[in-house]
Amino acid sequence: MYALDPALRVNLLGLSLICHSVVCCRVSPLQKAQVTSLVRKGARKITLSIGDGANDVSMIQAAHVGIGISGQEGMQAVMASDFAIAQFRYLTDLLLVHGRWSYLRLCKVITYFFYKNLTFTLTQFWFTFQTGFSGQRFYDDWFQSLYNVIFTALPVIMVGLFDKDVSASLSKKYPQLYQEGIRNTFFKWKVIAVWGFFAFYQSIVFYYFTAAASQHGHGSSGKILGQWDVSTMAFTCVVVTVNLRLLMSCNSITRWHYFSVAGSIAAWFLFIFIYSAIMTSFDRQENVYFVIYVLMSTFFFYLTLILVPVIALFGDFLYLSLQRWLFPYDYQVVQEMHKDDPHEYSMIRLPERSHLSPEEARSYAISMLPRENSKHTGFAFDSPGYESFFASQQGVCVPHKPWDVARRASMKQQRQQPQRTGRS
Amino acid sequence: HSCPMVLRIAELTSFGAGASASTHQPNSKFTQQELPACKPILTPKWVISVFLLVGVIFVPIGVASLLASNKVVEIVDRYDDACVPSNVTNKLAYIQNSTISKTCRRTLKVPKDMKQPIFVYYQLNNFYQNHRRYVKSRNDQQLRDASKANETTLCDPEKTRDGMAIVPCGLIAWSTFNDTYTFQHNTNNLSIDKTDISWKSDRDHKFGSDVFPKNFQKGPLIGGKTLNESIPLSEQEDLIVWMRTAALPTFRKLYGRIYVDLKENDTITVTLDNNYNTYSFDGKKSLVLSTSTWLGGKNDFLGLAYLTVGGLCFFLAFAFTLLYLIKPRKLGDNNYLSWNRNSAGH
Repeated sequence: MYALDPALRVNLLGLSLICHSVVCCRVSPLQKAQVTSLVRKGARKITLSIGDGANDVSMIQAAHVGIGISGQEGMQAVMASDFAIAQFRYLTDLLLVHGRWSYLRLCKVITYFFYKNLTFTLTQFWFTFQTGFSGQRFYDDWFQSLYNVIFTALPVIMVGLFDKDVSASLSKKYPQLYQEGIRNTFFKWKVIAVWGFFAFYQSIVFYYFTAAASQHGHGSSGKILGQWDVSTMAFTCVVVTVNLRLLMSCNSITRWHYFSVAGSIAAWFLFIFIYSAIMTSFDRQENVYFVIYVLMSTFFFYLTLILVPVIALFGDFLYLSLQRWLFPYDYQVVQEMHKDDPHEYSMIRLPERSHLSPEEARSYAISMLPRENSKHTGFAFDSPGYESFFASQQGVCVPHKPWDVARRASMKQQRQQPQRTGRS
Repeated sequence: HSCPMVLRIAELTSFGAGASASTHQPNSKFTQQELPACKPILTPKWVISVFLLVGVIFVPIGVASLLASNKVVEIVDRYDDACVPSNVTNKLAYIQNSTISKTCRRTLKVPKDMKQPIFVYYQLNNFYQNHRRYVKSRNDQQLRDASKANETTLCDPEKTRDGMAIVPCGLIAWSTFNDTYTFQHNTNNLSIDKTDISWKSDRDHKFGSDVFPKNFQKGPLIGGKTLNESIPLSEQEDLIVWMRTAALPTFRKLYGRIYVDLKENDTITVTLDNNYNTYSFDGKKSLVLSTSTWLGGKNDFLGLAYLTVGGLCFFLAFAFTLLYLIKPRKLGDNNYLSWNRNSAGH
């Protein structure tokens, strides 16, 4: 406990932070936890600890991110951890691939959410200037309530689930991309300010352009549009634009993205067709009755529906093009470098041998063998008998484990039975 | 001894097939995040093509819309200040005095040939039909259903008079515009068609054909038009047009149509009744005669907006081409990676 004395702790921390890596050996579980807390509180950095045994539990809990390895030493570490993995080397995937994607998706979802609500609400704000500041709402109540629930909800969930800036293998090939998360590149104030600016710009376009285009008579009947006609037109433009903006900010677009975007816009039209076709018996103002049918019988509707979203997205498109060309992010450069690579999912490839030593390659190959559902919950893999049987079937050499040799030697006569027919 | 490798392994991004098998999860492309995806990259080719495409589509639409708007002939005549006699100092008292005759004659000159149908609108400025308390001051149930004549919720302050419900209640109905216009064209009387000036859906469904005005404009303060109690609401088209509240404080509403061709330099004489009080709030009243095209009335905005955006897109396509030539960057250039640029490290 000497170096962790309060008097000496600071020196230990200062020295450790200068070093590239520090090895502490023969430490007790308590000391492991203390070292982790020292770094966590003293250096004020995000700490991650990984362990596989019961003696690692306190260390896992002391760090910000605790990872347990399920396997040989049981499940105690797994039960105390935030993430559980099966082998130590999966840590690279966890951090460089999934951790990085998770950061990217989180930033995208949060900034997009604020953007879409900001642009929608600011249109109402501009309207207040022309209502004598009386507080008259621009949109019908149901439009506002269902905006976040039906008309713009699903696409952003798809982005949060599936967006990838670069593929998994490229993430591991360029581990420096992980620095984006450390430097908080996608959630700086500058990024948020840009989204906020474009929300502001788009709201001006939605309100003023729709209002200006709707002045005076429409169609050859000469009839005039009222407030609820203008507001339905503006809302249609908002829903279409906000959904298309999401597609513009995606790095990888799956068919679920197309479905959800098209589905959200279709849901809006379905809703408004039904909503403006019914009159309820409740004591309410039927302001939006028949509005959409009247609107869709004018050329004004279609011309405005083409014009307003294009102008609104114009600014974003300009910004994205300039940003990618003049100040590209690292992941964008990597995307361009590998844009002509064939897609991985359609390829059958060898494992990357160059990264694995022969022993690692062998154990990788073993881990790819078909496994049975183990009855021993403490051991997700490594039942020696059947493993060596299948290994020999596939022509892979499996060294006998020393503890297994000892175990078998100490057991009474018990024949090894293959528990499953092999797959070749 | 040699150990041949196990081949033919598809890359998995999850933590081993064994883990999924032991938790009985279906190993689909959806759950493994391996869905086929399109990975768009904004290359110069794409940027310039998008701008050119938008330009090519928008400019013709803009030209067509602007031509349509330019074909519209419009006469706007503001009359609220001219129709008050010059010796009147208190305009508000003048307009509220029901004993004085408010008839006024105006002369309009036709600037260009106008083909029928010619639409007659009245235009109001600075009249906030979109004020919150004004917009909510109506009862749609009462308007369409004769049995709900006593429903006057939200109609404050025009709910009841002498204990009986007002039909139609509310401020919107109470303040219906009541100036009237008659036209003479070169000494011939022009007839105005005042049917079908409101939306058909309003006439058929929102205003009942068995609902009659009752107890209307009987109070000390008359806000606008008085309604004929024997005509049902579904046929009171001026009321229906007025009750479709406008979005902005400057608006027009359809008064009627004229089915006569007018030639350039013709004179139209308008005899109007200057009844409506806009003097207490600095509002303006104007009379508008306008033709109409497939796009509607005179509105240059759409045409100009399309042309501007189309032109801007062409300009930007050109500017981006220059940018890509002046500041070229090889796609996927290693040197742009931040760890290659700042070799001093972070």
